[in-house]
Amino acid sequence: MNPSLRRRQLLGLGLAGLGTAVVGPVLWDRVQRSAALAQPAGAARLVSRGGVADLELVAQATRGTLPGGPADLLTYNGRSPGPLLEVKAGDRVRLRLRNGLNQPTNLHFHGLHIPPSGTADNVFLTVKPGDSFTYDFTLAKDHPAGLFYVHPHQHGLSADQVFGGLGGALVVRGDLDRIPEVAAASETVLVLKDYASASGQNEASLGMGRMLGREGPLLTVNGELNPGLSIASGGLLRLRLLNASNARIYRLALEGHRLVRIATDGGAISTPEPLEELLLAPGERADLLVQGNQAPGSYRLLNLPYQRSSHMGMAAAEADPRTLATLSYSGVVTPLPLPTTLLPVPALPEPERTRQFVLAHAMGMGGMKHDMGAMGGGGMAMGGMGMGFQINGQSFEPDRINTRVRLDSTEDWLIVNDDVMDHPFHLHINPFQVISRAGRPESQRRWKDTVLVKAGEDVRIRVTFRDFPGLTVYHCHNLDHEDLGLMGVLQIDAKAG
Amino acid sequence: MNPTSCRGHTSFLDLLLGLGAVAAVASGGGLLSAGASTPALMPVTAYRSASCGCCKGWLQHMRANGFTVRDVVVADVDVVKRRLGVPARLASCHTAEVAGFALEGHVPAADVKRLLQRRPPVTGIAVPGMPLGSPGMESAFAKEPFTVMAFTRSGAITTFSQHPQVRTEP
Repeated sequence: MNPSLRRRQLLGLGLAGLGTAVVGPVLWDRVQRSAALAQPAGAARLVSRGGVADLELVAQATRGTLPGGPADLLTYNGRSPGPLLEVKAGDRVRLRLRNGLNQPTNLHFHGLHIPPSGTADNVFLTVKPGDSFTYDFTLAKDHPAGLFYVHPHQHGLSADQVFGGLGGALVVRGDLDRIPEVAAASETVLVLKDYASASGQNEASLGMGRMLGREGPLLTVNGELNPGLSIASGGLLRLRLLNASNARIYRLALEGHRLVRIATDGGAISTPEPLEELLLAPGERADLLVQGNQAPGSYRLLNLPYQRSSHMGMAAAEADPRTLATLSYSGVVTPLPLPTTLLPVPALPEPERTRQFVLAHAMGMGGMKHDMGAMGGGGMAMGGMGMGFQINGQSFEPDRINTRVRLDSTEDWLIVNDDVMDHPFHLHINPFQVISRAGRPESQRRWKDTVLVKAGEDVRIRVTFRDFPGLTVYHCHNLDHEDLGLMGVLQIDAKAG
Repeated sequence: MNPTSCRGHTSFLDLLLGLGAVAAVASGGGLLSAGASTPALMPVTAYRSASCGCCKGWLQHMRANGFTVRDVVVADVDVVKRRLGVPARLASCHTAEVAGFALEGHVPAADVKRLLQRRPPVTGIAVPGMPLGSPGMESAFAKEPFTVMAFTRSGAITTFSQHPQVRTEP
């Protein structure tokens, strides 16, 4: 009875590849093809030992192996998505990033509550081509258990690098994993990521560009087309989902089964929630339990059509459901119960103030050209130049602080989407709770760090800025939108004295 | 009510002589009567939502290229798209009408002029999505290639013109 062993059968997701072989161009055209390497991939899973995680990720261009997919992929250790990183609350994490790309890159530890500066979640630092940098931080002993996300955050190149293949899941083991019913479940991490077709022609002719946020026609789970999942009759399967796509919003359903949510972005919720379907925006995560209580057979995990703009058809990549993975029954076990309660999600203090953030796209005023030469980008003009995205009328400027808050204060932020497209709003280093969407109060408190704000709607979130002063950012997690300026700089001021 | 008609005719002549594009303000009736020989001056009626940040840029582009544009802000652009027969997969932000043709999205004025000159048996032409670098979507960040698609009520979609863009990156 070793739950950790059972938990770790990271189901070898067999290749049942049935995806659509659409022909189409490599859209991450800024990456040198000649740099592509055909070399064996590194380990699929890197785990901490004895309280320390010594990890290395090598970012590089690698020959693509996805049928109908891009000729080259951007990979960590030869993998897209990158290896699964697994650490425990309280661990020290030392992660060496080696940049084997021909452009600058860096890392963001999406969802972790760690400092925004120095060698921790510092998205303002840049690792030049050929250079290395060692991220080094310690997770608090009471850091929530959950599924987090490691991906590049190099402004102006984030979308190219993520759409090109970079990014991977980071599991933090802790409180939630110790709940007996959860520990008894078989666990699988599912990284949802879409890729461009080989030529990109079809996507381009239908206007699936940066302004909408690029989606690719190849829908993969852990880098595979329609992999197999298995569940025993009577068993419990814990599906841990990460949307690691550039812009695609997934609307997920599992044929014949309800999805019982036990955790959101930032960790456990208090009461399991049965769902018929789940909307998962880029950067969002969900932890779901599935009961093996149906007739043995095969059931498809589906991505249902979803329109992420207020205009008919625009940014609606598919009109029909797409199969992401197939769940098959195998074996029989004594029925495992669902948990009835999980972990408390305490109410945050009443907010000291409310701020409003209005998201829109508009022509910039010009004169905002940044010299990227020092960063190897070759003098690229950023989002403020010409058409781009704005928060409260301003496009992102790395040297401009848009919002200043006090450490330990609690605020409500009203995120107003005044645009014709959906925007997933993401805040770094501090989890928040959604108070209301479109004026309707949320049904329960959940820890979130990314929330989908639909076109024309507004969402009220509440956040306490805990533990770590410094500079960080909030932005749209449609990464093309982030690169086109939909990001602001947040300064968290330490208390005086 | 027509102190502008004179100026309208001046700019109309300017265009004919190729002396430059002037934002003409002229009566629709006068233009329609001259339609066959001067398609570029057909009045355009554009429908957009109030919150669209790029539609106005396209309107300016059309005016700068000699079209008279009526700017109509509507609550639901999809109603217009359906009425004009725009296929969902070709949708963009704004929708316009000119001489019985539908124009969807950031269609370059040159393509609209060619449409009006040749009058192919199509319902309209479209630039799906919002490609960076198309008219009204100018950006120093990226210039994306785009295709103008022609469509019919029966659902046929063909390529009308292609606009490869010069990349800003080396």
